[in-house]
Amino acid sequence: MSLTSHAGPSLVTVLLVGLGVLLAWHGIAPILARPELQGYDADYVVLYNATLPRLAMALICGGALALSGALFQQVLRNPLASPTTLGVSAGANLAIVLALLLSPGLIGWGRDLVALVGSTLAACLVLLMGLRRGFSPFSLVMAGLVVSLWCGALSSVLVLLNERYLVSLFIWGAGSLSQQSWTPTLSLLPKVGLAAVASALLLRPLALIELGEAGATALGVKTSHLRAMAIALAVLLAAFVTSAVGVIGFIGLVAPTLARLTGARRSGALLFWSTLIGAGLLFFADSALLLLADKVNDMLPTGAVTALFGSPLLLVLLPLLKTRHRVMVERALRPRQIGSPGRVLLLGFIGAMAVVALALLFGRSVTGGWAFLSPSLYGDILPLRFPRVLAAFASGSMLAAAGLILQRLTGNEMASPEVLGISAGATLGVTIAVFVVADPNLGEQLGFAATGSLAVLAIIFLFAARSGLAPERVLLAGIALSAMVDAVVGVLAASGDPRASFLMRWMSGSTYNVTMTGAVSVAVIAVILLFAAGLLRRWLDLLPLGPSAAGALGVPLASARLLLLLLAGALSGAATLTVGPLSFVGLMAPHLAREVGLTRAGPQTIGAVLIGGMLMTMADFLGRTIVHPYEIAAGLVSALIGAPVLILLMRRRA
Amino acid sequence: MSADRFLMLNRRQMLAGGMSLLAATPGFVAEGFAADAAPSRVVCLDYGLASTLLAFGVKPLAVAALADWDKWVEEPRMPPGVIDLGSSWEVNFELLIALKPDLILSTAYNDPLNPRLAEVAPLYRANVYVPGATNILDASYGATRDLGKAMRMEDKAEAFLAEADQFFDACRDRLARHNVPPLALVNFMDPRHVRVYTAPGLYHDVLQRLGLANAWKKPGDYWGFELIGIESLASVTDPRARLIAFEPVPSDVMPALATSPLWQALPMAKSDRFTVLPSTLMFGMVVEAMRFARLLTDYLDAHP
Repeated sequence: MSLTSHAGPSLVTVLLVGLGVLLAWHGIAPILARPELQGYDADYVVLYNATLPRLAMALICGGALALSGALFQQVLRNPLASPTTLGVSAGANLAIVLALLLSPGLIGWGRDLVALVGSTLAACLVLLMGLRRGFSPFSLVMAGLVVSLWCGALSSVLVLLNERYLVSLFIWGAGSLSQQSWTPTLSLLPKVGLAAVASALLLRPLALIELGEAGATALGVKTSHLRAMAIALAVLLAAFVTSAVGVIGFIGLVAPTLARLTGARRSGALLFWSTLIGAGLLFFADSALLLLADKVNDMLPTGAVTALFGSPLLLVLLPLLKTRHRVMVERALRPRQIGSPGRVLLLGFIGAMAVVALALLFGRSVTGGWAFLSPSLYGDILPLRFPRVLAAFASGSMLAAAGLILQRLTGNEMASPEVLGISAGATLGVTIAVFVVADPNLGEQLGFAATGSLAVLAIIFLFAARSGLAPERVLLAGIALSAMVDAVVGVLAASGDPRASFLMRWMSGSTYNVTMTGAVSVAVIAVILLFAAGLLRRWLDLLPLGPSAAGALGVPLASARLLLLLLAGALSGAATLTVGPLSFVGLMAPHLAREVGLTRAGPQTIGAVLIGGMLMTMADFLGRTIVHPYEIAAGLVSALIGAPVLILLMRRRA
Repeated sequence: MSADRFLMLNRRQMLAGGMSLLAATPGFVAEGFAADAAPSRVVCLDYGLASTLLAFGVKPLAVAALADWDKWVEEPRMPPGVIDLGSSWEVNFELLIALKPDLILSTAYNDPLNPRLAEVAPLYRANVYVPGATNILDASYGATRDLGKAMRMEDKAEAFLAEADQFFDACRDRLARHNVPPLALVNFMDPRHVRVYTAPGLYHDVLQRLGLANAWKKPGDYWGFELIGIESLASVTDPRARLIAFEPVPSDVMPALATSPLWQALPMAKSDRFTVLPSTLMFGMVVEAMRFARLLTDYLDAHP
């Protein structure tokens, strides 16, 4: 019994390490075939001080990340948990980026500490959000990925604002294992070793958690303390690795999954084999990359490449998740009543008009001072501002409607266009465009982006159709695709490919290139789609009651889900073209609408649309004016403001 | 801001082979060119073009990404009163229109923006860094002549290029006495990675112009560089090769290298073969090429 349960994982380990050794040997053998020269022998110096420490580093980092992932998965009882999916690595990355920019001296001695602070903060945030849902596997990963996205957005703003340091930040964010001495390897080894020993000590009590909360408590195990300790260890391991080599994506997810799939069941076996498989996996991946790097000219950052191959695994893992539709509970805290929905909406409308007027007429003068536009300049300046304001408002509205539909459809308050993958599809389309067409013009960009969105939508539907379009599966499929697109851009950016700068700018979501024609088209599309959303409001009212209740009330579940998903896809696709894939407006606006007392689908939709439009217009206005004559993209501004606001909102309701 | 340069796209790092030259150019005055109907309200989206303009003795009305000029461009100084136009990828159109320029200097790098710019004023588009380029220095010469035409200053352009030629020849002669070994030219990205400059590229082409050899033989992209792990520098086999790095060097690089046996063993990294020179813009034009040549020649002349 125990023999068979170890056979599978050990076979995988031997296979991975064996292949890795074979590949590494392919590079090393020609050097060893001849005796070392007297004095300086470049090949041998590189072998001893770069190649060997790099391979050792791959083994250690792979093992540490896998152990971290396995701990997370055991403790949270969530097969999708890992340093990558919980935002831990992204948090560490952001902290180091911040430290590098603000206080480079700190990095000299405190890189570990900085990474640790960042990843701990990210982990706390994600767990706090997850806690409210009783650590439901799905919402935890959702919260983790939203935190990841936000850390990524902030990192890219910092990078855009400080281009001088950019390349090194990119290399670091994409995780390069390149080494020039044994020092980093030797300093990482004892840290990881200690954490591994500590994890081993937690084994027995951890095994008891498997009996379930009640069982463990009955046996005298304080599960909360135990969980906290195990999570702390997992965060620590991921932070050590991130501080040493940067972000290595998805090893912490892939290795435990492989261990489980090949037969490691009990906690002890799972932790043990995950660690070994993770070590083997990164070792193999890096040996392959070392060989490949000789063949191609560009540097391939290991971390981004593992993410590229690891992220599709999320898709494969989806069926493992037990999803259960949650009935959206009416908030215990009654929303403030500002007035009747009609009055609230009227106020909202007036507010929206005021914001639009401000965005059009107020701004920076030629000398840089704040000023209302003088009427004599209307003819010159308004044609510049109007398309941007119109496009921003329309896109914000569409994102808000998309977010509202997704939240009502899934019963998950973290659902939003960002995580649907439509935006990622658009980005992927544009990524392909810059490779196929050297300098895609706006029309070509739109074409490729639309094709990308549609393709992703189709793929997601194919994957999710088998589960009856269970919305949570749909969202996770989207997340997997987003992670993949990120990885592609990461590889490009770290290798210094000029196309990456174009992509980064595109992803940051600026209305800068919007023409009058473009703005009017976006507005027309918005009006049509929003009208369609209004027609479907009955479904939106009933679906949050849960599938069985909604079905009983006459909602044709399958077709309702299909239509609403298509609508959300179209809304977010059209908006992404103008304001980029990341803004959090779709997440925020529906919540704010509920905050002001709009609870029924109809009024909440209108309210969210107005609020979304206002938010995006404000973001665009701030982005255009605040660092005049330079600009910050509207999408980034709203993401930066949006995420903390959202967290505050959700904390307050907790 | 200045989202544009953020990768290697820093063409505008700059600089000016010659302050000396600049001073020598007759008529370096801030304004007043209306006499022969030459453009007088010139805005410029590129550091390389802006420095060339200064070398012609023209003060631009506005320059994109001016805020970073002093950070990247040590010389020539931009005269006071020039307006910052915002990042070159996202030029502030409200500002641009209000300035009523009569000539806009742009590059192929700004192609997505050029059609819109051309609606505001006549546009000159330099074509130096493009895919398929074979010699960046030659292309820069061509772009300088074209700029001269656009500015109706053909004579100034020719005079400037003649002086550049003399300058390069002089550098070449000074170096010819030393039998200079192949040089590897790098920028440190972090303690583990460097960007190494190769063909085709401004640095590489200047090396050739000066009769020097580039120790890094693999070709790069059309910006003229390749990103590598520092250990790859060991693949330079010429035992005499020298390593020249350029500022800025991130603060954690030197301490980390001091503990690296690989770096210590690298023949190029020995103290008599390795140096760090002031920053120069690797994505510039002739003025930048001259600054690079001057820094390099002065150093090699003093440390043969």
